[in-house]
Amino acid sequence: MAASPYLRRRLANLAALAASAAATAIGLAFLGWILWVTVQRGLGALGPALFTGITAYGAEGGLANAIVGSLMMDVMALLIATPIGVLAGTWLAEYARRSRLGAVVRFLNDILLSAPSIVLGLFVYMIVVLPMSNWTGGRVSFSGVAGAIALALIALPVIVRTTDEMLQLVPGTLREAALSLGIPSWKVTVQVLMRAASSGIVTGVLLALARLAGETAPLLFTAFGNNFMAIDPLDKMASLPVAIYQYTNDPAPALHAIAWAGALLITGFVLLLGLAARGLLARHKVAHD
Amino acid sequence: MSSPIAIATRAIDLRSRADARHDAWFRWLLASCGLLVLAALLGAALATLWGGREVLFGHGFAFLTSAEWNPVSGEYGALAPVYGTLVTSLVALLLAVPVAFGIAMFLTEIAPAWMRAPVASAIELLASIPSIIYGMWGLFVFVPFMARVEPAISATLGRLPLVGGLFQGPPIGLGLLTAGIVLAVMILPFICAVMREVFQAVPVRLRESAYALGATTWEVVWHIVLPYTRGAVVGGIFLGLGRALGETMAVTFVLGNSYAITGSLLMPGTSISSAIANEFNEAVGTHRSALIALGFLLFVVTFVVLLVARLMLRRLARREGA
Amino acid sequence: MTEIAMPLAHSPPGAAAAPAGAAGAAAARLAVRKLDFFYGTHRALKGINLDIPARQVTAIIGPSGCGKSTLLRVFNRIYALHPGLRATGSVLLDGEDILDPHYSMNRLRSRVGMVFQKPVPFPMTIFENVAWGIRHHERLGRADLADRVEQALRRAALWDEVKDTLGKSALALSGGQQQRLCIARSIALRPEVLLLDEPTSALDPIATGRIEQLIEELKSDYTLVMVTHNMQQAARVSDRTAFMYLGELVEVDATETLFTRPGKRQTEDYISGRFG
Repeated sequence: MAASPYLRRRLANLAALAASAAATAIGLAFLGWILWVTVQRGLGALGPALFTGITAYGAEGGLANAIVGSLMMDVMALLIATPIGVLAGTWLAEYARRSRLGAVVRFLNDILLSAPSIVLGLFVYMIVVLPMSNWTGGRVSFSGVAGAIALALIALPVIVRTTDEMLQLVPGTLREAALSLGIPSWKVTVQVLMRAASSGIVTGVLLALARLAGETAPLLFTAFGNNFMAIDPLDKMASLPVAIYQYTNDPAPALHAIAWAGALLITGFVLLLGLAARGLLARHKVAHD
Repeated sequence: MSSPIAIATRAIDLRSRADARHDAWFRWLLASCGLLVLAALLGAALATLWGGREVLFGHGFAFLTSAEWNPVSGEYGALAPVYGTLVTSLVALLLAVPVAFGIAMFLTEIAPAWMRAPVASAIELLASIPSIIYGMWGLFVFVPFMARVEPAISATLGRLPLVGGLFQGPPIGLGLLTAGIVLAVMILPFICAVMREVFQAVPVRLRESAYALGATTWEVVWHIVLPYTRGAVVGGIFLGLGRALGETMAVTFVLGNSYAITGSLLMPGTSISSAIANEFNEAVGTHRSALIALGFLLFVVTFVVLLVARLMLRRLARREGA
Repeated sequence: MTEIAMPLAHSPPGAAAAPAGAAGAAAARLAVRKLDFFYGTHRALKGINLDIPARQVTAIIGPSGCGKSTLLRVFNRIYALHPGLRATGSVLLDGEDILDPHYSMNRLRSRVGMVFQKPVPFPMTIFENVAWGIRHHERLGRADLADRVEQALRRAALWDEVKDTLGKSALALSGGQQQRLCIARSIALRPEVLLLDEPTSALDPIATGRIEQLIEELKSDYTLVMVTHNMQQAARVSDRTAFMYLGELVEVDATETLFTRPGKRQTEDYISGRFG
């Protein structure tokens, strides 16, 4: 009987190890399952028509307008969020590193980072879409600009956070050496510190773009979607995720195939961005050691 | 007449004053960008509060307690979407937490060194897949799969005393359980990343002294690592909960969109975010206000959950720093 | 601008106004009077009085934590970066108190340069590293600027090594080269005083030798103040040496005198290696 508690402990340990390995297998299995289905069904529908045709309710439909709309809105969103995010992150790292207000902003930025994106969509609907519509008598309501602003709100906390983190990694001696030349701190910050952290900051922008590329919910009631090619930023604008959403909701299997092709495009794009960001960060780390 | 040196000194002083002025401007510019982050959060809360005022203040408590949602008769009760949001998130947590724990334990204590980085990256990859892809996969692949599995679930779990009722229903694949599972896969990487990070931060001497006493791996994790990191683990779980509550695209397709509150997880339901996504663009007037009010509710709840999460995580970070 | 700034840098007017009590033969360029320094409530420097003569190398030695680096960081007020630090008393540069809040920081830092323990090249090209500071203080044409950069690099004994790679990143230089680049960067602004905070502690012996040789050469134009924990270095390079201990200035004298016939017991204990 003396061996019994020992045996029980060993059995419990074995069971835990097995369960832990099984959990990992489950996680990887879901990843493989999702990626496999996306690649398999997406590749089947990939073709030149996808890039030439616009949204249509027939088998010959494409994603051209959605791709153009997504690119336009993603770029506009980054144009809005990057300067604001980089400046805000710089403020946190350089001027508010230990201040109470800085701590509050940093904290709330982390919350914004995982805030529900659909609510941010509603927010932009309330402050951009509705007022625009009232102001122009309904001529302009849902628009690419509104979509871009909603996306910018999603990109903003990502860029703020990486900029803050990357600038905090810049050695303090660099700051002191530059200031000891009698150069004002704004110039030191912009021309020395931000440059030293530049690859890290670019990583943040890439990560933000990766998040934007797949965002659907905030676009539904800001950019709305458009079945035609639209490049006027004040017009309703199509986007890949929203087009996928529409196609998925449609009963026609031919449209589902297009949706899968769109899904493959987005997933590929996001994974590539992730790889690029990783590569850049690795190089950044090497340069700093 | 001033000497050249006095002039030079004055030029430097002027320059210096200009520099100081530019510094002050720069500082203000930066600070106002920082405050924009605050403004975005506050604005989101106020804008949805304002947009939903008609229902929030007009219907008062009935909005929260009524299960009737009928745009035709103008009745808006949030209970069904709130119920659906809570139940799916809870199911997601119940499934994701043990799996995330298992993976984190595997990656920090069990896996050989060469395996750790690639497996960890793969799990992180789950987090970078856009939610619309989860939604499509859920609808086209996972729902049919569940429809085949559900009879078996009803026949086994459905027979259990007490909880049996949760697992009885038509085998249609759509429903709260399916949505909960899809959500679980989505939030798994977030919870796992936090757990892995804090498990790794446990001091080696703590771990080693436990092993030196003859403790098994499982005992070290359960009695040493987990208690040591409890606060952050809870923080990570709340972070996952915050994600689950607010997720839209992954659940919209698979919930079934029914405003019924049922006791079974196999029955279709709805959630706050999917109600908004499905109905907003067709809604007008009070209906639209009710949807924005739902958005306000969602924002407040996720804000509180995320606040708790970040506070728990920050406490650990501070202890590590000390 | 250039014509005006140059005489300022090279013929300081206040040399005659040096306060009484200059211990050395040369006139004091920097005169420290009753200087106290506080980290919050901790008093790190206690009533320092010190004269630093022009065109000489003054070394400050002492065990770690004695306040030698703190003292150096007062001379260009770089400490003002950090909240909670303050200095009282006065530090006269050519007769003017640099601790006076009205004394312009730009003016101070273009007159008092600083080289740090670890070489810190800016993430720019070699040329830009030197040109960047000049460009802020003076408006020069392209050719003039290139001249100034070359002069500074020559003065720092780096020109021959980098003249073909001026457009390359400064981060690719060796540690010793980087440190000489930092010296070039400082002297490009034509300061009067150059502060060196353990400038060789991160370098190998050969690079250290080159920097020491450079310090020797620079003293014909500049007033140098060097903090070092290496007593041999102080003995090799400096004309005068100050010994600090626990925030107080124990003794200052001609280097040879201080190392051979120290006046105080603590100094003797330190230089003979009995503590520190």
